[in-house]
Amino acid sequence: MKILVCIKQVPDMESRFKLNSEGTWYDESDLAFRMNEYDEYAVEQAVQLKEQLGGEPEITVLSIGPDRVVEALKKALAMGADRAVHVKDDKYYQKDPWQVASVIAGHAAGQGYDLVFTGMQSQDRGSAQVGVTVAELLGFGCATTLVGFTYDAGVIMAKRELEGGSKGVIKLKLPAVVTCQLGLNTPRYPTLPNIMKAKKKEIVVQAVSELLKEAEVTGTGGMYPPAKRGGGIVIEGEVNDQLDKLMRILKEKTTVLRAA
Amino acid sequence: MEATREIYWNVGHGVVLPMYLLTLVAVAACCYGIYQRVEVYRQGKELNRLDALGERIPFLLKNLFGQAKVLRVSGPGFPHGLFFWGFVTLFIGTLLVMLQADLTQPLFNVVILKGSFYRFYSLALDLAGAAAFLMLLGLMLRRFVYRPEGLKITRDDYLMHGLLTAIIFTGFLAEGVRIAVTELRMNPELARWSPIGMFVANQFSAQDEVSLRQLHTLWWWGHLLLVLGFIVSIPWSKFRHLITTPANYLFTDLRPKGSIATINLEEEGVEQFGVEKVSEFSWKDIFDADACTSCKRCQDRCPAHNTEKPLSPMKVVQQVGELAFGNPDKSLIETVGNDALWSCTTCRACQEICPADVEHVNKIIEMRRNLVLMQGEFPGEEVMVAVNNVEVNGNPFGLAYAGRGDWTEGLDVQILSEGGADVDVLYFVGCYASFDKRNQEVAKSFVKICNAAGIKVGILGKEEKCCGEPVRKLGNEYLYQMAAQENIELINGYGIKRIVTTCPHCMNTLGRDYLDLGLDAQVEHYTVFIDRLLKEGTLVLDERQFDYTYHDSCYLGRYQDIIQQPRDILHVAGGRINEMQKSEKESFCCGAGGGRILAEEKLGNRINVKRVHMAEATGAPVLVSNCPFCLTMFEDGIKTGECEGKLKARDLAEIVVERLQPAADLSAVLDTFLPTGIPQVEEAPAADAEPEAGAEPVSAETEKARETTGISGVNGKDAA
Repeated sequence: MKILVCIKQVPDMESRFKLNSEGTWYDESDLAFRMNEYDEYAVEQAVQLKEQLGGEPEITVLSIGPDRVVEALKKALAMGADRAVHVKDDKYYQKDPWQVASVIAGHAAGQGYDLVFTGMQSQDRGSAQVGVTVAELLGFGCATTLVGFTYDAGVIMAKRELEGGSKGVIKLKLPAVVTCQLGLNTPRYPTLPNIMKAKKKEIVVQAVSELLKEAEVTGTGGMYPPAKRGGGIVIEGEVNDQLDKLMRILKEKTTVLRAA
Repeated sequence: MEATREIYWNVGHGVVLPMYLLTLVAVAACCYGIYQRVEVYRQGKELNRLDALGERIPFLLKNLFGQAKVLRVSGPGFPHGLFFWGFVTLFIGTLLVMLQADLTQPLFNVVILKGSFYRFYSLALDLAGAAAFLMLLGLMLRRFVYRPEGLKITRDDYLMHGLLTAIIFTGFLAEGVRIAVTELRMNPELARWSPIGMFVANQFSAQDEVSLRQLHTLWWWGHLLLVLGFIVSIPWSKFRHLITTPANYLFTDLRPKGSIATINLEEEGVEQFGVEKVSEFSWKDIFDADACTSCKRCQDRCPAHNTEKPLSPMKVVQQVGELAFGNPDKSLIETVGNDALWSCTTCRACQEICPADVEHVNKIIEMRRNLVLMQGEFPGEEVMVAVNNVEVNGNPFGLAYAGRGDWTEGLDVQILSEGGADVDVLYFVGCYASFDKRNQEVAKSFVKICNAAGIKVGILGKEEKCCGEPVRKLGNEYLYQMAAQENIELINGYGIKRIVTTCPHCMNTLGRDYLDLGLDAQVEHYTVFIDRLLKEGTLVLDERQFDYTYHDSCYLGRYQDIIQQPRDILHVAGGRINEMQKSEKESFCCGAGGGRILAEEKLGNRINVKRVHMAEATGAPVLVSNCPFCLTMFEDGIKTGECEGKLKARDLAEIVVERLQPAADLSAVLDTFLPTGIPQVEEAPAADAEPEAGAEPVSAETEKARETTGISGVNGKDAA
């Protein structure tokens, strides 16, 4: 079995963000980067499957971005992936989800992958489109937002998170793409011997231009922090006065009472 | 009549040969037993503990003949000491007999034991025997009747107490009977120099000489055989501590306290880190188990053991021995148990008090290294998150590293990366003083103190990273070294030679641990720094009286032996100290050391609450500490321990900054002269502050944010 795990390196969400000069993305200075949280679940699940199958599957981990993404690839290798592909792209943030998916599909074509793990979405862009688009481009079955995964004899049982807290379980045949959600597993902490071994594993570097044949279909018009909202209002006084004041605010400032 | 006695009286010189032969057999058996044990120690890895004998031998003599460590706990220590000195005196007495009877007299016709010397000799030996006997009786009462909690009674204890009592008893009986025949009537003046012997003799004075001589033969041989039995039993019973404990003094760790072996991560082909099986320890770690006398002093002081957690440092050391001797292939980690290993706060109370100089803490850290580096295990998920945060953001809170220097706003402090390398000292702020609102007050206070003393102080700002101490103590040597190397490169790059910290953990790490990785700078804790400024007269304080109790943080008191300076500062500031029962080297940990600051305390009771209650018991309204972890733990302990309004946790720097002359800070002037004895609650600088995300231009509401709150909850110890 050949497994592909697609990961992205994203800024830590506690970082101090500034806009870049183009005003379409964040500036990378003063940011701490780490592996996209959902992708960690993807790597972990792939490694667990490899362990379940006695180490037979080969796990390739792929990331698109500038040189810094090698750190994320190394972490995936330390967690148990076998080889890595770094699609070098300093202008990664100008690519839309369609192009990102096309790059991945471009790499996957002819590689004979049976199963592709991705995160449910990236923490920075959050489009949640790449995984499903890859499935479409490769003609694979697809299940998204996995919170449970079992595999037996070519069949995946995927537990998906649905709206409103309910879950759905579906069966899926290989080849397939699955996107991983919080709750699927607890990503392991790489052991030191595995970190050492990871340093010797192969990282193939490919230029994005070799794989990208598609033009963008969407673009970022602009990016700005949300407008500062005013503070809350504390309504004081007698209960009846409070009610009157509340009703007046609801009537004047909102639409909630108009339908009735 | 001459004051001497006939050696081999009654038993005759015919006993010499069988006596020496039997002794030879006993000594040989003893040596064989020791040899067998040495083979077990050899399972451990090599380690040179016989270098620098010039330091080792005085340490051995002081602790063996001076009983220095034993006497530190005077209750059982004093009787042990007196017993020891008594027994040594008796041993020397016996050697003199041997020397004279079998060497100087037959060969050179020289008699040592005569005249005044013999009188003195008789008296000294009698008194030594009496003292040993009485002390033994006291120790027996303690162990078998009074039975202090945690002191076990084993086969060895019966054997040891029984054998020693019998040896002293038969000795006095043989002596008494001899005196009854040879001195009581013929030389009563001499008999008086053996008061105990004379007392025994008087009990037998009615019997005739023949039966006395028979009794003497019986007791003489009984005494000899019991002594030989004692020699044989040394390696096979806890008597072995007669050899192993002094040897352990000789093998003492001469490195600065708290030194941990720095793993060479560059070494090719090493696939084993930390310790899972006893053979992965050094021989000294196995030897420690044999030096342990089960005195349970460590266990009595262990903050984890005292709060119902599954850790006893004594048990850990003994488990090393049990496996080394009984089942060396079994996993030591499994035997000790993860919960026990994670409960340790590395407070060093165990190691500091150990009369056998056993090294407990590093054993636990080595096993933790195995858990983290080989198995990717942590005490809890919250710890794994915090460790990941250290890796990504350089602080355990997971806050933006770019905000590390934000607390300096409006203060006169240079940030080195902004071109201010012209500083007298580098203040290594540490994560808590940088990010935690409560501890930022300490950082601000320290900078103001430097300003008042005219000292140019600089910080690394956003370039500073966690010193790596908590993760190192948790066993994550890899992450520690990554963080350390970045800090060292930075500090060396700025050519810094003097560093001051407000955190004893940073201080120990930068000053001692970083030596192995190439930091070459003098590192000082701010209490020592301020104390010097005060004594030099560079800094002058208003003396404003207040009552306080003082907590010696583990890493300042026990690790660095800095006990007096903080007290001196607080005295100059007008403080009247009310010591807690457990203070100075016997201080009780706040619960946050050993990386526990990052972990939730799920087992047993809260250590911090226990400590806060000890502070409350002094009646002092202020609990002064010197460590950001302690301050965090006490702020929480005061809340959860329901001491609000009765006790306030303050850092020493906050006390000092309020008394600066001339007042560097207007608020310190406005701060009223409160009558002493009343909790100065108004002074609380954001006492309930918790580390939280600052106001960033764009801050995503993510899962991470929730996790951060979780950690701050742990640090604040009041969440969930």
